[in-house]
Amino acid sequence: MSKEVKIFTLLLLPSLILAKIDFNREIRPILSEHCFACHGLDDPQGGLRLDFAEFAYKGGKSGFPAIVPGDLEESEILHRMVSTDMDDRMPPKGDALKPEQIKLLRQWVSSGAQYAKHWAYVLPERPVLPKVEHKDFVRTPVDQFILSKLDEKEWAPSEPEKREKWIRRVSLGLTGLPPTLEEFENFTHDDSPQAKEKVVDRLLASPRYGEHWARQWLDLARYADSNGFQADQLRDSWAFRDWVINAINQDMPFDQFTIEQIAGDLLPNATIDQKIATGFHRTATCNVEAGVHPEENRVNQVVDRVNATGTTWLGTTMECAQCHSHKYDPFSQEEYFQMFAFFNNTPLEVENKSGRGVSFDFWGPKMELPLPEDKQKQWDSLNAELEIKKEELTIMQKEANRKYKEWTQQKFEITKEKKSEWLVLNPTKAISDGGESLRIVKDGSLLAEGKPGDKSTYQIEVTVPAGTWKSFQLETMLHKSMKQNGPGRNTTNANPNFVLTEMIVKVEGASKPLDFVRVVADFNQGGFLPSQLFDGNLDTRNGWAIAPEFGKAHWVQAEFNEPLVLDKDSILQIEMKHLYGGGRNVGRPRFSLSTDGVQKGEAESKRLHELLAKEKRNGKEERELRAIFDQENPKLLALQKKVGDLEKSIKKVTPPTTLVMVEMDEKRDTYVMARGSYLSPEQKVEADVPQVLNDWKPEWPKNRLGLAKWLVDSENPLTARVIVNRWWGQFFGSGIVSTEEDFGSQSEPPTHPELLDWLAVEFMENGWSMKHIHKLIALSGTYGQSSRVTTAMLERDANNRFFLRGPRFRMTAEMIRDNGLQIAGLLSGKMGGPPVYPPQPDGLWRQTGRNEPKYTAAQTEDRFRRGIYVIWRRAAPYASFVNFDGPDRSACHPKRSRTNTPLQALTLLNDQAYVEMALGFAVSILEKTQGYSDQDRITHAVRRALSRDPSGRETEVLLGLLNEQSGRLKSDSSIAKSLLSQAPQIEISEKLESYEVGAWFFVANALLNLDETITKG
Amino acid sequence: MNKHPVDQYLSTITRRQLFQRVGLGVGGFALANLLNNDLSAAAKNPFAHFAPKAKNVIYFHLVGAPSHLDLFDYKPELQKRNGELCPKEMFEGKQLAFIRSRPTLLGTSKESKYEFKKCGKSGIRVSNLLPHLQTVADDMCFIRTLHTEQFNHAPAQMFMQTGFERFGRPSLGAWTNYGIGSPNKDLPGFVVMVTGSYPGAGNSVFGSGFLPSVYQGIEFRGKGDPVLFLSNPKGVDSTARRKVISAVNQLNEMQLDGVGDPEIATRISQYEMAYRMQTSVPELKDLSKESQTTLDAYGAKVGGAGFANNCLLARRMVERGVRFVQLFDQGWDHHSGVFNRLPGKCKQVDQPIAALIKDLKERGLLDETLVVWSAEFGRTPMGQGTGGSGEKTSIGRDHHKEAFTVWMAGGGTKPGHVHGRTDDLGYGIADSPVHVHDFNATLLHLLGMDHERLTYRFQGRKFRLTDVHGHVVKNVIT
Repeated sequence: MSKEVKIFTLLLLPSLILAKIDFNREIRPILSEHCFACHGLDDPQGGLRLDFAEFAYKGGKSGFPAIVPGDLEESEILHRMVSTDMDDRMPPKGDALKPEQIKLLRQWVSSGAQYAKHWAYVLPERPVLPKVEHKDFVRTPVDQFILSKLDEKEWAPSEPEKREKWIRRVSLGLTGLPPTLEEFENFTHDDSPQAKEKVVDRLLASPRYGEHWARQWLDLARYADSNGFQADQLRDSWAFRDWVINAINQDMPFDQFTIEQIAGDLLPNATIDQKIATGFHRTATCNVEAGVHPEENRVNQVVDRVNATGTTWLGTTMECAQCHSHKYDPFSQEEYFQMFAFFNNTPLEVENKSGRGVSFDFWGPKMELPLPEDKQKQWDSLNAELEIKKEELTIMQKEANRKYKEWTQQKFEITKEKKSEWLVLNPTKAISDGGESLRIVKDGSLLAEGKPGDKSTYQIEVTVPAGTWKSFQLETMLHKSMKQNGPGRNTTNANPNFVLTEMIVKVEGASKPLDFVRVVADFNQGGFLPSQLFDGNLDTRNGWAIAPEFGKAHWVQAEFNEPLVLDKDSILQIEMKHLYGGGRNVGRPRFSLSTDGVQKGEAESKRLHELLAKEKRNGKEERELRAIFDQENPKLLALQKKVGDLEKSIKKVTPPTTLVMVEMDEKRDTYVMARGSYLSPEQKVEADVPQVLNDWKPEWPKNRLGLAKWLVDSENPLTARVIVNRWWGQFFGSGIVSTEEDFGSQSEPPTHPELLDWLAVEFMENGWSMKHIHKLIALSGTYGQSSRVTTAMLERDANNRFFLRGPRFRMTAEMIRDNGLQIAGLLSGKMGGPPVYPPQPDGLWRQTGRNEPKYTAAQTEDRFRRGIYVIWRRAAPYASFVNFDGPDRSACHPKRSRTNTPLQALTLLNDQAYVEMALGFAVSILEKTQGYSDQDRITHAVRRALSRDPSGRETEVLLGLLNEQSGRLKSDSSIAKSLLSQAPQIEISEKLESYEVGAWFFVANALLNLDETITKG
Repeated sequence: MNKHPVDQYLSTITRRQLFQRVGLGVGGFALANLLNNDLSAAAKNPFAHFAPKAKNVIYFHLVGAPSHLDLFDYKPELQKRNGELCPKEMFEGKQLAFIRSRPTLLGTSKESKYEFKKCGKSGIRVSNLLPHLQTVADDMCFIRTLHTEQFNHAPAQMFMQTGFERFGRPSLGAWTNYGIGSPNKDLPGFVVMVTGSYPGAGNSVFGSGFLPSVYQGIEFRGKGDPVLFLSNPKGVDSTARRKVISAVNQLNEMQLDGVGDPEIATRISQYEMAYRMQTSVPELKDLSKESQTTLDAYGAKVGGAGFANNCLLARRMVERGVRFVQLFDQGWDHHSGVFNRLPGKCKQVDQPIAALIKDLKERGLLDETLVVWSAEFGRTPMGQGTGGSGEKTSIGRDHHKEAFTVWMAGGGTKPGHVHGRTDDLGYGIADSPVHVHDFNATLLHLLGMDHERLTYRFQGRKFRLTDVHGHVVKNVIT
């Protein structure tokens, strides 16, 4: 507001006293709803703005003032509102203003038409605590505000909640978990006046507190484990999730919490944790489909960061101003791009790896996480070893290079190789697991007879004389019993192929099989290489095969890594695995050994001849020749393999990464983008904050760090209010401002403005401590009153905005899961780390595009961890969460809906995860209540599920169900068997009868489905 | 539908009486139903602004975007100039996904199987690749001038379905479900069926955005449970399930009597509905009562899965009052080999969709059922000869946002009608453009909703499917 206007309004002050009209409460909503869209900041119609006094008093292009304070006759808007001429009437579309609205506006004009800054943009001040009558209701100062409002209305709050219900409510409210039986007992037996405070302090100190409260923040941070869009590949960002949990558990002051997330990387000597915190803004979705335009993509992500910052801290919808100045709130398009400038110095976030075409991968700054000590040691020693081996390799390679040169100059001599001599090994024993028999033939071969097994493994023993052996040979011989005489026994078609997947050759008594360095065959089918025989890969499509060279005998030879030295006659055990299927088994194998190296196959020799004969070889041919040469050098090959293995091992302990923000060295210029499109830049702007909010302080750097400090400056009117209001919403089901996501002029006004301000100031003045505020709320009489609803309450205040009663509402998706697991006794307390995969139905993950990840349900304790750790894939979030209003986290999500649907019933009744919980619960009930009567068992179960004792009628219903099912299961033992079989993850002691576990399953299933069970009431 | 006995009982007593009963601790279960009925009566069709032309929608989204130029928009001039470098203005400064150097024009192959035939009385030309749809051309209403703002799949799919290129907004089906609800309370009001993999934008294309999630599309799956978690675990038969639900609801009623929260009453009714769904959904999915003639017409199989079955299921759904049925079919993104790949895809969808239109017509349902064929964008009249990594490929077409063809049938659209005209090369619009917002406004209009008044307040603003744009295309409406 300009100085002139301020003086002008001051002069008018005396006349204001006439009638007490609250502009923000009574007038702004009318103007905002009916006028601002056309007569606001964005392209005002007829040049007239009504959102600020100075414009309204001046008027638009017509030159007449729209409002003249104190003058009903001269105030044009009052005439236009009641005009019967539709060309004149305002608003031009829809219904006319209501008579009471017109009356209010008239009163306001005649009392001076004073504007006031929208309440949310005025810095909160600590209000005086109102005086109240019913002192015993007051537990914390919060209650005085609530009670004073109720007093005004001459309404009374409810009785304090029963103790058992209170501890369940407060436990769920602070940690998202119900009290354990022990915690429950301790509290109900604690008569001290501090009993409740002790509970609240314990809960605030529990690591479960951070796990619970992180959920709301991660919805705002749109934290997920995938990119979103096409393919929706997974990304590593979970370190940020863990950072949030830890920060909340440590009660990190919210100003610091903010600064580290917005600008941790820009802090002097930023720590690793401070960098991880910047993951907040690396969670934006990213489209990597082929054909995206990288700059558009980057701009979209910056836009997302501006909008998420606006919603999360300022409770302000900035995004309208991306395309045009805000219609309702005082944020211009220029100001939008000034905010944009803070986030604009980012690199591109997709990468075209090949440098050609239009394929892109997700890219952008990420950081390696520190390794735990033992892993770090392993990592260091592996790297040290790698360095040494690499040096050795370099030396050896140099030597080899020299030799290679000589060798290639020998030309033809080298290719005249003498044939090796082979000693056939006599079998002593041969069996197959596929049903065929292996008959020993005189020539030392084994002839398979009888129906070929589909996938047979032969176990063979042969005798070997003492000596020093260099090579091993398998011949696949022919026989007339096979189609085309063999050599394979394929049963699926006319081709007598075989696929020998793997061979294991071992000296009897040795601990390890023999290693081979060089494997050659006279022939191999494309893709089925002889070397695959000894690679340890049991994939069915791996191995040695010979199509289409049927009707011919074949051989494969392999050189031992170290010569096989036998000082006495020994037994060699040979295993031949045929895993392809269809009877593709070798029909007549024979084994032999040689003291020479292996011979080259005919084809290989011919090729070598060709290559050496060439005057000039191209690069590909040179590499091929070199490979043949290197084959002769097992030491070099072994060393190459060692280096490769080390690199693989290092990869396995490579630290996980997390996404972080970085600032580019060279700043990008920022322009206002016409209609929000990056293709239409207009005037250049510099980073700045909206004028209507707190001033920028000169000591702040004009970057994200300065922005973060501005957000949590004590002069910022919005941040503290927005944050405490959101927490209030979690405790009570709805905020003091019910539009938790919007504090602008279209927002619902606060029901208890003084309370909101008091909490905001209290928050800031107590070191921005979240736990401090939570304690004040959790211990309040307001939170602790009975949640029972009466007809009178529904008629007075159906939505409980004035707190006639305590809160009662359905839990969030994650709470429902955690609560069920805890009740069942299955919940794992393991914290942090990569996301987990609890069971979900098959076929939910099927996206378009490359690198589609697979969903494999965890079989370890990860199956039973808290919902906060469950993998969040944007295109297909965890199915049961979706049914309970879990968002896809593709955009900043300030408030979840709370629906009540049949799909929720089906989830709790039938989802595998809940079936396991019910079964686990049943087993646990029986184990913990040995020797109890069924009735006492019901009591035990109800205490665990609801933290209270069942009524007689409730017990009756549950006993009825138990007895009925018990009878059914006893009469047919197969039912319990199949029931129990579907959750092998649940351990069932052999001492328990199946029918009994089965019958209690039904009771457990019913208990986990109760409205009360899934309600924080 | 038979009325549930509790509903019958309820219709005889007043809301006030019920509140009193709750106060006395009686009849909790009843309250919910009354509240529900009240809610659905008051909120029955809060956005039913005028008499609808269409009651239900069956919406085909051909994911990846079919080559409309080879199916519905006949361009002899393009064929004539096949192979010429395209005019500069079709390339320079344009947003294209794959094409990176000035391309040549690509006319529809002149082989007879790609010829366009003049169909029926209307004489509308449809490609020979769609012989069955050719027989219902007189029932179809084409818009040849739809244009969009997005040229990558995922953003364009979202733009088409939610009117916004980024995540977070409700889809057309969700808006419809929110606006006018669905008459069948035993089935979801918005059902989605997907063949092939999901659209690139994932569940968001049928999501509820900022609307309560109860309005989102529920996927009927081909494999496994048609609706997630529908079937009981092993060892739990229908009787046992009934017993558990009865026990749950008895306990919930006691709780309702104790604490009086109407939400509990709603929960009770939702458990009853879940139980009814366990019968109504399998009954819906069971095609064994369909005649062999019907099955053959669609090419559907009892106990089968796939596009043809989904088309028949769509008819069964609208018969039962499901408001919005949406079918996504993946596999139309023909950047390469467009003339090799198009016939196969057409063969999969041509017969079932034509059979659906005929079937609806025979049953007198076509008048009130709006059938829509759509995609996220069209394909370029220029050829694309390179793939994602720059390698050479056989000829295909790139993404095209400037103009493409969609069609509707039934539901108050003009039969045998063509709206709009593209230029001779099929690149731009010569006459009567229709923006995505216009198209969506028109669909809502046919359903009896004014797109400017179908709003939801979120973050301080009344949001619409059509943002601040959109004009109903009156010319396509009877």
